[in-house]
Amino acid sequence: MQAAVIGSLYAALTLLLSPISYGVMQVRVSEALTVLAMFTPAAIPGLAVGCFFANFLGPNGMMDALIGSAATLLGAIGTYRLRRRFYWAPMPAVIANGVIIGLMLYYVYGVPFSPLYCILWVGLGELIACYGMGLPLARFLQKRKGDLGL
Amino acid sequence: MAIKDITLGQYFPGESRIHRLDPRTKIIGTFVFLISLFLVDHFLGFALAGLFLLVLILVSGVPFRFLFRGLKPILFLIVFTMLINLFMTSGTALVALGPLTITEEGLYRASFMALRLVLLIFGSSLLTLVTKPITLTDGMERLMSPFNRLGLPSHELAMMMTIALRFIPTLLDETDKIMKAQTARGADFESGNLFRRAKGLIPLLVPLFVSAFRIAADLAMAMEARCYRGGQGRTRMNRMAFGKGDALAALILALYAAGILYLRGRLG
Repeated sequence: MQAAVIGSLYAALTLLLSPISYGVMQVRVSEALTVLAMFTPAAIPGLAVGCFFANFLGPNGMMDALIGSAATLLGAIGTYRLRRRFYWAPMPAVIANGVIIGLMLYYVYGVPFSPLYCILWVGLGELIACYGMGLPLARFLQKRKGDLGL
Repeated sequence: MAIKDITLGQYFPGESRIHRLDPRTKIIGTFVFLISLFLVDHFLGFALAGLFLLVLILVSGVPFRFLFRGLKPILFLIVFTMLINLFMTSGTALVALGPLTITEEGLYRASFMALRLVLLIFGSSLLTLVTKPITLTDGMERLMSPFNRLGLPSHELAMMMTIALRFIPTLLDETDKIMKAQTARGADFESGNLFRRAKGLIPLLVPLFVSAFRIAADLAMAMEARCYRGGQGRTRMNRMAFGKGDALAALILALYAAGILYLRGRLG
């Protein structure tokens, strides 16, 4: 159940902030939720499904849905593995999304920048979302773990 | 960003032959179509793909403006990509406009990429236009069920997708409510640079999160109270079955794929 709600939370946030959620220069706020994988393995499928719907309902269609959710899935697994190392945990999400989404934008959508440039921009947006918002959220959750049943 | 600006799902109700196809046929068909677009290496291939899509759209009875609506959010990207490709590709010059030159290769690359992108978007929009999201997740569950033996919990996954889909509007409402409540308390979501804005969203994320988890816990309790216990031995209200239409669709799809491969082999 947690997984499903995490998924829809991700999709809802992405869609609500859709002007900054897609494209080369994106700061996908919902990516802050990847820190949830530090607390519960349920977040792993949840985030992937959320990303699937967010992209599926978003402007880029099916390709983005499949590739994007695969990227998020990998990132979430990585975060779960690194869950004991607070400052490193969000890193897999940044890398997985930066590299995979960056390359996808380049190859599939023909964005006219070099692949490295795409990767760096997407990665930077992820960095802002995961570290700027994700870590403060994680810190809060750490304090209130018991109340939330995590 | 108001809630009402967001169009969620885009199902276009209808009774056409395409609507009535089994969701599995439609999912596989969309896949084949999307992959075929990446195999195309000549404009003739796009002509075939475009024709194929056009026939599908006409048969489905979905008005064209619905398809164009899906294109709108990405229009900027398409135009931008086209312009850059047009002016930045080096090669034989066609027209020179001051410092900018349009080359033959640039024109080719720009139109090639734009065509592919448009077909890609139309193709995937058509799937969501003619299939209800719930039917779609059902179809995916069935398509994934062979992987059950490898340990993939396909029923649970589909269940999760259905629930996630159902809660998207609820959480959109909730986000809007919390945003307004926090704005009333003086939270600032709209000014400052990117980092400041990102930081400003934390007062939104934390309460949203707490409320989402409350929803999850309530739902879990409700399901337990009704003795839900997963997929084993569960029966369905709507059973899926392949029909004659699906066989015909498979045949047409195979012909289309063969056509694309033939063009690639001959012209590539």
